Amino acid sequence: MPVSSHGDVELSDSSINARSRTLNQFLAGVELKAFKIAQAALRHEDDALDAVQDAMLQLARAYADKPAEEWKPLFYRILENRIRDMQRRRTVRGRVIAWMPFRGDEDDDEPDPIAQAPSNDPSPVKKLELAEAMGALEKALAELPRRQQQVFLLRTLEGLDVAETAVAMGCSEGSVKTHYFRALQALREQLGDLV
Amino acid sequence: MNPDSEQLTDFERNARRVLEESVLRVDGRVRSRLNQARQAAVEAASTRPHPIFWRVFTLVPTAGAAAAAILVALVMWHGQPQAELPFAENARPTAEDLDLLADGDGLDLVQDGDGSGSFYEWAADQSEAGSGTETDT
Repeated sequence: MPVSSHGDVELSDSSINARSRTLNQFLAGVELKAFKIAQAALRHEDDALDAVQDAMLQLARAYADKPAEEWKPLFYRILENRIRDMQRRRTVRGRVIAWMPFRGDEDDDEPDPIAQAPSNDPSPVKKLELAEAMGALEKALAELPRRQQQVFLLRTLEGLDVAETAVAMGCSEGSVKTHYFRALQALREQLGDLV
Repeated sequence: MNPDSEQLTDFERNARRVLEESVLRVDGRVRSRLNQARQAAVEAASTRPHPIFWRVFTLVPTAGAAAAAILVALVMWHGQPQAELPFAENARPTAEDLDLLADGDGLDLVQDGDGSGSFYEWAADQSEAGSGTETDT
């Protein structure tokens, strides 16, 4: 513990603790949505988890000193970069594997029955409707171009405004509006009244 | 222009509801891994390196010690006995050496021309014998 004669050290320690708490709170607030966004892009649970984990670490290491209000767009910018890196790597790996004469089955992950348990349990009918809507929406989202998918999830699920979305995507606000409009159009055409 | 404050269409509202519901249904394994990742990130933030000014400040004693060592080395280098220098100078032929070599008389003095000992031995004997010997040469 800091000594009283070192007032500045005490202030520094307490401010570090406060910042850690704020960071923990922030990450707890975004982690599930970030996971869903990464999963929509990567279509692989473990890859999505890795991407979110990397984004968390990088935010903590490089931007923890920034004002907390700036964290959200920064975090999603980092996550987006990570997702793009993983997609590129996957494309290269796919090309290499396609040339190999023997390749093993990569889907050897066994589902964990405890892990599969849902956290909420609505009524069976509602559950079915939601599951149907979810499945349809996820399928339609998966078919969207990457930028449209990204802007739709950041705006609709995460609730970022146009400026924050522009920072997260590394593009202009005008571009955000255009992608969002096109995403909405495409989803409406595909889903109709299902959602 | 946060979607919360915007006039959302029914489609957007429903889409958000469905997406939020899907977030709530994320399973325990994923939640657990996200929780671990978060703890690691918070830990990394609290133990990350000090800012640049602090690192520079902590380097001052090291830099000072290095500078002092260099200074001592320089002083010792220049403070070596000057007796070493003539040896170094003698390594190269100077104009004086060339004159000596070209001068046959000079060499005779050094080379003991009459076989009775070197000139330097004779000169030493003479100085020990006293000032009167000058007339003998």
